[in-house]
Amino acid sequence: MMLLEHHAKELLGRSGFPVPEGILVTSARAGVGAAALPAIVKAQVPVGGRGKAGGIVFAQTESDLETALTRVMNMTIKGHRVRACRIEAPVEFAAECYLSLSVDADAGGVRVMMAANGGVDIEDPSLRDNILWRVVPADLAYVDAAIAALALQLPSQLHPALAEAGRDAARQFFALEALLIEINPLFVRKDGSWIAGDAKIVIDENALPRQDGLRARIEGNAALYPEMALKMEQGFDFVVLDPDGDIGLVTTGAGLSMQLIDELVARGHRPFNFCDIRTGGFKGDPGRLIQVFRWIVEGRNVRSILMNFFAGMTDLGELAKLLLVAMESVPDIKRIPVTARMIGNGLAEARAVFAAAGNPIAIETDLETAIARATARARPVQ
Amino acid sequence: MIRDLVTPGMPVIIQGLTGRSGRDQTARMLKYGTNIVAGVSRRDGEASDVPCFRTCTEAVAATGAKASVVIVPPLSVLASIREAVEAGIKLIVSITEGMPIHDALKVRALVREAGARWIGASTPGLAIPGKIKLGFLPDISLAPGTLGVMSKSGTLSYEVCHRLVSRGLGQSLWVGVGGDPVKGTRFADLLPIFADDPGTDAIVVVGEIGGNEEEELAQRIMETKFAKPVYALLAGRNAREGVTMGHAGALIGSSGGSVESKAKALEAAGVFVCTRIEELAASVAAAARKSTHNTEKMSA
Repeated sequence: MMLLEHHAKELLGRSGFPVPEGILVTSARAGVGAAALPAIVKAQVPVGGRGKAGGIVFAQTESDLETALTRVMNMTIKGHRVRACRIEAPVEFAAECYLSLSVDADAGGVRVMMAANGGVDIEDPSLRDNILWRVVPADLAYVDAAIAALALQLPSQLHPALAEAGRDAARQFFALEALLIEINPLFVRKDGSWIAGDAKIVIDENALPRQDGLRARIEGNAALYPEMALKMEQGFDFVVLDPDGDIGLVTTGAGLSMQLIDELVARGHRPFNFCDIRTGGFKGDPGRLIQVFRWIVEGRNVRSILMNFFAGMTDLGELAKLLLVAMESVPDIKRIPVTARMIGNGLAEARAVFAAAGNPIAIETDLETAIARATARARPVQ
Repeated sequence: MIRDLVTPGMPVIIQGLTGRSGRDQTARMLKYGTNIVAGVSRRDGEASDVPCFRTCTEAVAATGAKASVVIVPPLSVLASIREAVEAGIKLIVSITEGMPIHDALKVRALVREAGARWIGASTPGLAIPGKIKLGFLPDISLAPGTLGVMSKSGTLSYEVCHRLVSRGLGQSLWVGVGGDPVKGTRFADLLPIFADDPGTDAIVVVGEIGGNEEEELAQRIMETKFAKPVYALLAGRNAREGVTMGHAGALIGSSGGSVESKAKALEAAGVFVCTRIEELAASVAAAARKSTHNTEKMSA
């Protein structure tokens, strides 16, 4: 998961890596008068290409700042609503360089990359063609050696800055168990000093249980990391894909849940959400189901619910009981017709549980039939 | 050959035998016919169907185990695999969800160094249907047959194999490589196992967004002139950039990993790429019917 630039810079700054002064605001009003001018307003969304999308704006005066904040705070960039902006002091520089460390999943090592001409997207051919890189074993000594060797290939006025910045970034890379630390641009001044223009840090969710600092940062900014905060608190994934979507999904398993969305979209339908509820983690508690039902009834257009449980390890009989409890806790769910596809372990018991309760949910064992039934209740395909 | 990876009857140990999940999964694997000879656990647990040792070294010395299924908490997977490798185990399957990626990097390096094979970080496991199961692939989706299956996602592969099995098409070997970005065995690593296996007629690939394993597989199919038909289903066409959809590996970055990039690479390598599960099942079934028909004609 990608940290917002503001938090990435906070973490780097705390470790001694120079970053520009900056504050985080979650409304236009909070930002006006709060920062020295001129300033740069930067949308805080976890994706690249913010500049191109108009999410980075220079403000000379208070009125510029207010206009910029109002506009950027109302943007949605690549599907991510802007919930906060960083207001940052501009930096004078002589060169814009590129520096990154990333996990190379393919090679099973760490990829170190540097270039004298950063400041543009890594996809940009002008950067791509000039990038120096090395993949080395995931060990600080190897990474340090790679950084030293790569920096030596840069022009002499940039070499010390990149070597030093690289060494600092490498320490953070291992300390944070990061998947990516990218400083692009890394500003180098005339006197050879350097400072991070932008900072991208991708963290490993699996390492969070032993990364206390990262965990605290996400928990303390739950509104800015809603999906991750939720996952940490609840232990499962739920993402609203289309606020106007009309099919709510209660599904388990990441791959099958993604595929189900693809199947619905291919048929011209608009699923409301992605959900990997992880039935394996229920342990007799209907809490996750209740939470998912609550979010689904909040979907203003949801008019059909499709459940899909392919039970490998899960016991469907147990699951059926929890579904009934959850439906009682969220009565609003009963106004939306439910199609439940269930197959595997404990199917007969699940049927018996529903039958004893007067069949509030009909079980369908075939996924194609279940999709057909759920979509028949959704809005007609345009 | 499949036997280079796994053989029916090979002696297997369970690391983490005394945990709840370890006990349940051990019972299911034993029932399936897997030759589980021992367990390893630091803690005393309830009596189990197999002897339990404190260390892998003791377990291997007493039983001659060749493979291990690791069912320990996520932050303990690294230590457990290190122990298995040091005890001389050559096939390690880890089914725990949530292993940190920096730990997976360390494991990958140490298993390679030792010449061992690791299926993981987190996988539902592998099976030769009717013979041996290491992990928890569901019985309802398993049947002996001639399809070589490689999958990232557990649940999606269960669905795909279930549909194929209900059309009479089972598997020669099914390997879940897992949805983690850093893993022990990638799709392309499995290609040689299936290439010269006389019991495998076609390959089914269940892939998804993120990483470049599908692209790498496509490349390897071309380089090795892999001759058997390959069918692929790719999930995550509608995933959003920057949001992890359940799997840590299923994160699209701005630098690729999309379904489009994977489909393009695979199609260029002659792979039949499907959007829908039903399309995949129907295509594999139609091809199988045709080849049976041809065989019958030839023998007639």
